[in-house]
Amino acid sequence: MTLPEHRRYRSAVSPPKIRTLLFVLVWSVACHAGAQESRTVDDRTRDAYSQPFPTMATADREQFLLGRGIFQRSWVVAPALDTAFDGLGPLHSRLACQSCHQRNGRGLAPANSRQRLQTMLVRLSVTGQGSHGEPLPHPVYGDQLHEEGVPGVMPEGRVSVEWQEHDYTFADGETVSLRRPQLSFNNLAYGNLTGVEASPRVGPPAYGMGLLQTVADSVLIALANDKKSDGVGGVVNEVYDPLQGKMTIGRFGYKASVHSLRGQVTKAMSGDLGISSLHYPQQNCSASQQDCLAAATGGEPEITEEQLDAVAFYLANIAVPAPRDTNTLPVQTGRKIFRDSGCAICHREQLPLPVDYPHAQTIAPYTDLLIHDMGQGLADGGSEYLASPQHWRTAPLWGLGLSSAITESEQYLHDGRARNLTEAILWHGGEAQIARDRFAELPPSEREALLTFLRSL
Amino acid sequence: MAGKTARKINPQRAAAFARRRLLFSLAVLCALTTPSWAQQDNSVVVMTSYPDNVVSRFEAAFEEANPDIDMQVLWRASGDAMNWLTQDGHAPVDVYWTPSPRSFTRLKAEGKLEQLSPDQRALPATLGATQISDPEGYFVASEVAGYGFAINRASLTEKNLALPTDWSDLVKAEYAGMIGLPVPSAVGYAPVMVDIVLQAYGWDEGWRVWSEIVGNAQLIRQGSTLVSDEVATQRIAIGLSIDFFVASGIANGAAIEFVYPEHGGLNPAHVAILSEGTNRDEANTFVDFILSARGQSLLGHPDIRKLPVRPDVYSSLPAGFHNPFASAAKGGYDYDNDLGQKRILVLTAVFEQMLITSNPEHVRLWQAIHTAEHNGADMSEARILLSQPLISAQRAADPALQKLFATRADEMGIGGRDNSQAAVYEQNWKNEIEARHAAVARLLEAHSK
Repeated sequence: MTLPEHRRYRSAVSPPKIRTLLFVLVWSVACHAGAQESRTVDDRTRDAYSQPFPTMATADREQFLLGRGIFQRSWVVAPALDTAFDGLGPLHSRLACQSCHQRNGRGLAPANSRQRLQTMLVRLSVTGQGSHGEPLPHPVYGDQLHEEGVPGVMPEGRVSVEWQEHDYTFADGETVSLRRPQLSFNNLAYGNLTGVEASPRVGPPAYGMGLLQTVADSVLIALANDKKSDGVGGVVNEVYDPLQGKMTIGRFGYKASVHSLRGQVTKAMSGDLGISSLHYPQQNCSASQQDCLAAATGGEPEITEEQLDAVAFYLANIAVPAPRDTNTLPVQTGRKIFRDSGCAICHREQLPLPVDYPHAQTIAPYTDLLIHDMGQGLADGGSEYLASPQHWRTAPLWGLGLSSAITESEQYLHDGRARNLTEAILWHGGEAQIARDRFAELPPSEREALLTFLRSL
Repeated sequence: MAGKTARKINPQRAAAFARRRLLFSLAVLCALTTPSWAQQDNSVVVMTSYPDNVVSRFEAAFEEANPDIDMQVLWRASGDAMNWLTQDGHAPVDVYWTPSPRSFTRLKAEGKLEQLSPDQRALPATLGATQISDPEGYFVASEVAGYGFAINRASLTEKNLALPTDWSDLVKAEYAGMIGLPVPSAVGYAPVMVDIVLQAYGWDEGWRVWSEIVGNAQLIRQGSTLVSDEVATQRIAIGLSIDFFVASGIANGAAIEFVYPEHGGLNPAHVAILSEGTNRDEANTFVDFILSARGQSLLGHPDIRKLPVRPDVYSSLPAGFHNPFASAAKGGYDYDNDLGQKRILVLTAVFEQMLITSNPEHVRLWQAIHTAEHNGADMSEARILLSQPLISAQRAADPALQKLFATRADEMGIGGRDNSQAAVYEQNWKNEIEARHAAVARLLEAHSK
């Protein structure tokens, strides 16, 4: 699926300038690949997603730890003596930021219909888009189903996840079972949900976000306009940023629908925890949820700008685990296959940072931060600005190899459907179909080499 | 709510959206049940102050074991929990499950707890000399935590220092600046640590040990800064701590160690059923689960690492997991927590004024004493001035004084204004310490001439 031409992001950057930017990108990769070490940590433990940048100043460490404390803190139902952290809900999904980002790693989907959505949420929307292109929330349930309510406020309902499985068989006979979630809503407290579009999302990793934020918009625009092989396109999502009150480029979230890290924090505070802030001042209630509207609040707003500063600072300064075993033959072989298969067209091995960024010239996130049509197989039930149900932001792959140890389970993709990296690759379609097919046609030893490389990240 | 306000629809985009739209597999079951919070069938309302990484694991495991029961968590720190549970008109709570022994004692005294069943009271009620469960069975221990030292072996090796094995080892001058102390008035688990040392060494000697340890220590005031962080990053070599923070860090790969001192101490967490609850069967099921082998085994998870109260689960826990029952059998835990609980608020207040409020001067004076003694001076008088407790053990046991500080804690809560009589005591103690510091300074000056 391709976007209408008129919806593609146009910038003031002219083609010659784009070529220059791309040259700078390539040059940076060639000359400064080693300079990113100050942004990574050589850590293979379950704390590997939770470390500050090695060069962090002592004065900054206080703010980092303060932000970590808020990120891990459970919020309290108002009114409370603990006025700094009251105001949970009235409707909410979980109690704390870390609830969906345990050890800053990926969330997990429920294994069966009896398990609740602990580290997953379900976005809701109805047909159409708002004036800025944003998804239209359900008129009663809003843009997210809340499984929890404070005392006196009925939870909106419960989501059950069941898995539909089908087999895929490689030419060599190896069979992989692929699963996709099927949702059902139970105990709906505010009426039915007929006609709603639903998109289940697990909590995304929370490390390295500050580095992704540092990449200049112009780099993303240049990447979007770069002609790519294999029929790959890729566009920047053009989104409304409530913090700035204007349209801008998105880069955070599964569909790159949020512009900034701070924007992501404030949005999640409101949507997931029901914590109001300067830019999300309203409580998490629709007009027909009278019990919700009548509930006590934890002040106006419930989280201060200083608290948001600390959380945003914390997230912006979490380092990325350094890749491991990079000089071994299996990893180098796998890297070559990764490139030869076309994976690196979207999972960009290097992105340049602004020249005045003091600590590194490039990062190795294995993403282009663009949204791509990933085919019908991965399509969900929601559009966000330029991202259709089939569009997803290229997932950063850095730190990927430690995910299973840190989250104690292996799940990938936006809804956790992939139980291993092979499944994740096989779900690729659309613009990634050719690369996916190349992988599927590899002999087992080369498939394993590619997976070895991914596990080294 | 920003996401729920009505917005204008752009017709062109809406049409494009409709064309692109996929029908996501969605079976909507419109069960219009309208349960009210806390009275929902098959639910249990659990009030707790455990962090989310603990609560989430128990929630998942409990609901997996009891798929027909919905666990609703009402998170409140102990001060806020007491404020909720002791005032009229609040939504009912079925179970209180938290590490705050004083809160359970108070709830029992106010008649708010149900006596638990004989089966729920079957686990050991004591661990060494520590009474971990209510003898009358109104609340029972759900886990215990020990106290000791987080150690960075590399830091000690760099300084050629021995591994401390007991609190009194930490008074040595060579540890100056290398010890991290969580401030009892600011860090929730730390007050019990004060009492462990006082009971271990006796009142006067215990305060001397504390005075010298604090003279060697850096203060850790913020709850967001974990002692284990400071040790792992070698900002300090030895961190005084409750065990689970450190044990969890070790289990997750931190290059630190934990030493349980020869004079150990335990702090139990409890679970109880509230009389006001409306889901009695579910509450019993939850308590049963917490005390079950499955529930107790969850405590061994690397992210939790608290000590189970079921002796039989230790055999299934990872190698090296501290077993307090085994230690107690060797006399390792003779800490009387009942004595401690009564006086803990008084101790915290005395500790604050004696060792924390004027901490920079306290540290400076101890360092100067060590230097003077190294040069051959007799600083015994100065030592006495810095170490002598502000009140006697008998005064700390005075029920009237204990009530004064308990009332202040109950009424002031978090961030409240303190106009109590307790504050007057604190001011007097502060004045006394400043006078002693001045006297010690004069002694040091006299020796330097």
